[in-house]
Amino acid sequence: MKFLIVEDEEGLRKSIDQYLTAEGNICDWASTYEQGYQKLSIYDYDCVLLDLTLPDGEGLQLLKHLKKINKADGVLIISARNSLDQKIEGLSIGADDYLIKPFHLSELYARLLAIVRRRNFNGNSLLHFNELEIDTVSKETKVNGQLVYFTRKEFDLLLYFVANKNKVISKSAAVVHIWGDDADMADSFDFIYTHIKNVRKKLTDSGCKDYFQSVYGVGYKFSET
Amino acid sequence: MKLFTSYNRILAVITLTGLLAIGFLFYQTLGQYINKQIEDHLYEELLEVKDFAHVKNILPSPDGFDDVIVEYRKISRPSHSSKLFADTVFYNPKKKHEESARYLKTQLLIKGQRYEVIITASKFERQEQIKSIILIILLPLVVLLFVLWLVNRILIRRMWLPFRQLLTNIKAFNINKEKVFEPIRTNIEEFKELNKAVLEVSLKVKSDYREIKLFTENASHEMMTPLAVINSKLDTMLQFNSLGKEESEILADLYKATSKLTKLNQSLLLLVKIDNNQLQAREEIDLKTLLEEKLGYFQELIQKRNLKVKTETAAFTLYANRSLIEILVNNLFSNAIRHNYDGGSIQITLTEDSLIFSNTGTQTRLDPLKIFERFYKDNTSDGTGLGLAILKQVCLRQHYQLSYHYEQRQHQFRIIFNSR
Repeated sequence: MKFLIVEDEEGLRKSIDQYLTAEGNICDWASTYEQGYQKLSIYDYDCVLLDLTLPDGEGLQLLKHLKKINKADGVLIISARNSLDQKIEGLSIGADDYLIKPFHLSELYARLLAIVRRRNFNGNSLLHFNELEIDTVSKETKVNGQLVYFTRKEFDLLLYFVANKNKVISKSAAVVHIWGDDADMADSFDFIYTHIKNVRKKLTDSGCKDYFQSVYGVGYKFSET
Repeated sequence: MKLFTSYNRILAVITLTGLLAIGFLFYQTLGQYINKQIEDHLYEELLEVKDFAHVKNILPSPDGFDDVIVEYRKISRPSHSSKLFADTVFYNPKKKHEESARYLKTQLLIKGQRYEVIITASKFERQEQIKSIILIILLPLVVLLFVLWLVNRILIRRMWLPFRQLLTNIKAFNINKEKVFEPIRTNIEEFKELNKAVLEVSLKVKSDYREIKLFTENASHEMMTPLAVINSKLDTMLQFNSLGKEESEILADLYKATSKLTKLNQSLLLLVKIDNNQLQAREEIDLKTLLEEKLGYFQELIQKRNLKVKTETAAFTLYANRSLIEILVNNLFSNAIRHNYDGGSIQITLTEDSLIFSNTGTQTRLDPLKIFERFYKDNTSDGTGLGLAILKQVCLRQHYQLSYHYEQRQHQFRIIFNSR
C-alpha cells in the first residue's frame, strides 16, 4: 500500500515511516503544507496521514483541497488537539478517522488498514492468517472454516494482533486499543494478560496453532515463528 | 460585631457615664446650695431667739415658730463648739412620718443658766424641688439622646446601603462561572473608591485566571507531540529482534511512565475544557443503560481485583452533555475500583434524583475537603490525582451536588441531580 505522511515533527514521521515500510508498504512524506499540497495534487495514495497543525498552514485546508480535486485517498487525521468539535469537523469534511497524539504505531497501522479495507468496496472484508479467517464486517472468526465465538473485546484484540502480525504490541498499546483513553488504567496493564489468555485458549481449543508470543512482560507478538 | 453595634456601644458607655456624672454633680451642687439656704434660715431663727432672750431674758416658747422646731435643754458644762450645723432625721407630727432635716445646735446663757438650743428645719420641700429641677433638665436630655440614637441608626443603615450591595456583588462574583463583578452606583466617595478597587481586582483576577487556563491548555498540547515521538520510538524499539529481558523490562517501565504522563496531560486538558464550558451539546441520556454499559467496560478490571458489584438502579434519564456524563461515570468507576482492596465490594445505587457509588477501601475516612483537590492522593495510589477533581468540576458545571461520606466502612460518593 502507498501512504503519505504529512507531519512536521521529524522524529514521529521517521518512526511511522519505519513501521509502515517494514510491513512492505511504500511511504512518502511531507513536512509542510506546501509539500503536502503538491504531493496530494500529483500522486494518488491509499491513505494520507494528516497532521492538523503544520508550520505553514492548517491540515484541514489540505483535506478540503483533497476533496475539492476529487481524490479518493483515505484520510487519517493525527493531531494533538483532541477537542471534540475539531474531531467532528475533520470527520464531516471527509476524513475517515481521527487519531489523537500520542498514539501507538500498532494502533495507527490497525486504523490505516481498516480505512483501506473500508474504501476497497470490491475487496472483501476477510483477513486470513493460515488457518485463521476473520470477517471484519460480520465480526466472525473461523478456524479451518469452523466458527469460534469471541466477545467483542476479544474479537477486537485478535483483529488488532492479526493486523499487526509479526510486530510486537506493547501491553500499553493493547490496553488503549481495547479500553480507550477514558479509563484511568495507566497503572494496571497486567490485566490484558487474562484477556490474551482467553483468546489463546479459544483459538487452540478449536484447533488453531498458538501464534501468540509473550515478549518478556512488555508485550505480545502474533506471528508464525 | 457589626460596625454600628461597636460604635453604639462606645457611644452608650460615654453618654451613660456622662449623664451619671452630670447628674451627680448637679445633685451635689444643688444640695449644697439648699443646705446653705436652710442654714441661713436657721441662723436667722437663732438670731430671733437670741434677740428675744436678750430683750425679755427668757427663752421664747418652742410653739411660737411656724416652719422650724426649737428645743432647749439645760446643760451644766459648755461644750467645745459654739455653733454646729448637721443633718438629721426627725418625726414630722403633722405629716406623721420621718423626714430628713437640718439642725443648728448652739448654746445660750440666760440668767446664768446655760442652755443648749437646737433649731431643726425640714429639708423635705427643698428636696422635692431638687428632684423636680433634675427631672426637668435630665428627662429632655434622655429623650434627645434616644432620638439621636434612632436617627443615627436609620442614617447609618441608609449610608451603608451601597456597601451592602457591594458586598453582595462581590460574593456573587465567581471566577468559575462567567459572571462578572457588577459595580454599584453611589455618590459616596469612599464607596466609589472601593468599588473601583474591587472592579480592578476582579478584572485582573479574571484575566490572570484566563491566562493560567490558556497556559495549561497550551503547555499540555505542546507536550502531546513530544509524547507522541517518545511513544512511537518506544514502539519502534520494541520491534528490535535483539531485545533481551533487561531491555524489555526497561521498555515496560518507559511505557508505563509515558502512559501516565499522557493520562496526566489529557486530564489537565479535560479540566480546562470543562472549565471553559466547551462541552455544550446536550441530549437525553439513559443513565441506567449507561451504567450497565460502563459496568461491561470495566468488567476486566473488576474481575481482576475480584470485586463484588451490587447494583440497584431505577430508570432515570438525564438531559446533559453525553461526554461529561460518561466522564463522570468513568471516574466514579475508576475511583471505586482503584481504591478498593482485592475481594472488596462496590455498591451502585441510582434513584430518581441521585447516583451513589459506595466501595470498600484500604483507607479509612478521608478528608472530604481535600479529596476533591487537584493532585491530592494517598501515597499508595498510582493514579493521576485528577480523577476526583474532574468529577467535582463536572458536577460544579452541571450544578449537581457532589458529596463524600464514610458510612459503615464504605466510602460513598453521592451525586444529586437536582436541576435540569
